[in-house]
Parts: sequence; C-alpha cells; structure tokens
Amino acid sequence: MSVTRRAVLEQLATASDADQRETTTTAALAAMLETNEGTIESHLNGLAACELVRTYPDGRVRITITGEELLALDTDEIVIVDSN
Amino acid sequence: MSDRSTTQSDDESAEVQYDPNSGRYDIYECTVSDCDNVVLVVGNDDPPMSCHDEPMERVTELDMSVKPPDVRQVLLQAFGLPKAGLDICLCVIGEGPLSANEVAEQLGYDRSTVTRYLNKLVELGLLRRSELNREGGGVVKVYHSVDLERMRRETLIGFYVWAGEAASLIEDANLTKQDYLEANPDQELPDVFWENFNEK
Repeated sequence: MSVTRRAVLEQLATASDADQRETTTTAALAAMLETNEGTIESHLNGLAACELVRTYPDGRVRITITGEELLALDTDEIVIVDSN
Repeated sequence: MSDRSTTQSDDESAEVQYDPNSGRYDIYECTVSDCDNVVLVVGNDDPPMSCHDEPMERVTELDMSVKPPDVRQVLLQAFGLPKAGLDICLCVIGEGPLSANEVAEQLGYDRSTVTRYLNKLVELGLLRRSELNREGGGVVKVYHSVDLERMRRETLIGFYVWAGEAASLIEDANLTKQDYLEANPDQELPDVFWENFNEK
C-alpha cells in the first residue's frame, strides 16, 4: 500500500468540495493516484472513521468540512482524530 | 548460550565509544589548573569555547564506562514521556490521519489510555490539540505535531536543562561525598549515601 492515507485525503480535496457537496468516486481517485481501488477503499474507510470524508452507498465520496480544516492545519507528521 | 542471553550480555557490555572526531558533539575543559569548567558543545564550535580568556581544550579521552542512551529512557527521564506516549507517536508517524480508536487497536491499549497519553503529549508540548468543525455540528478534536523546527529546538533546550540539572546533581553528590570523607576520615561511606543523597 504505497499510497498514504494523507495522499488520498489531499487528492480528494482537489476532486471534491465540502461546501458544494461535490463528489468523486473511488475509481477516479484510484486512477488519479495510480493505485488500485482496494487501497483507496481501505484508506477511505479509515478517513471516514475520522469524519474527514463522507462516503455514499452508491460509491460517491467527498471530503468533509472537517477534512478541509484538517488539511488547512498544514501538519503532516502526526495526526490523530478523536471524534468521540 | 541462547541467543537471548547473548543479546543481554551484549547489551550489558555495550558502552559509548567516545569519538572526539565524530563531529556530533565536543567536550571542552578549561586549561587553567584550578578551574573545573567542562562544557558540552553540540553542533559547530564557532567561535571556539573559551574560559579565562583562553580557548578551551578539547577532551579526547574518556576514562569512565558510559552506557549508550536509549531514546525511550531519555524521553522518560528528561520529559516524563512514558513508553505509551512514544508508542503512540511512532504508531502514527507516516500513517495518519488515524482515529484514536485505530491507535488503541493497533497498540492494544484501552481507548481511554490513548486519550490520556495524547493529553499528556499536549501537556509536554510535543503535540498540539485543535478543534475542527464537525459537519453535523459540534467539534472534532485533533492531536497533531507542532512545528518540527520548534519541536527540535524545544526538546534540545529541554534536554539541556535536564542534563544541566543532572550534572549539578552529580557534582553536588561528589562534593558532599568529599565533605563526608574529610569529616569522617576513619569511616567508610555508608551504603545508604546515594539513596539518601537527595534528602541531604
């Protein structure tokens, strides 16, 4: 799994929008990051558990406001999300 | 002898091979005979260390056996960072963002333990806590690295403060021992001396 979870989030930020509710798909993300859909799905599940992305039953996905705010923190080494 | 015992034996016999030419750090001492000033320099020595208006002399030999430091022990001793705190940082570096639940599962800790140590890391200044807006309302807590340059500076200075305190402690202990032996020339140093030193 050479693509990092953060790279998936960053790519999703360019391909979707929280305010406009613009979405993309797992397949599109996989193509953009040149990896397989299974890798992307695994990362998206983790990001969804952090409330950083929203996934829909039909396969669409988008970044959340929380995800956009996280990227704006401009920190990349250690990030732990405590959403409880 | 098993592999395990061999490893333990190696660990026990390991000691720092002080290399004054390594450039990692230098130790200097004052050349004036009644001055006991000894300094540690990490990084470059520009301008050169001086004492009594004279350049200090680089220490080139180490007579005592010094054990190599273990980063976990150093962080625990100097900053009170327990192993669990370091485990959490190491677990997340390069893998995040992770949820606190994922960290707990990966390390085999209770969820509450992870939260407790995350807050400890914030207290120590090694992590920062931010609150992000949740789409459905409310906030989501995020624990994240502080600026790496700042962390590097703060941990180095913090460690120097600890090292200075440790050096003072050793010096005080040596002076107290010297005073005791001078006042009690016919007596051995009591076995409890070191244990009781802090209370003296």
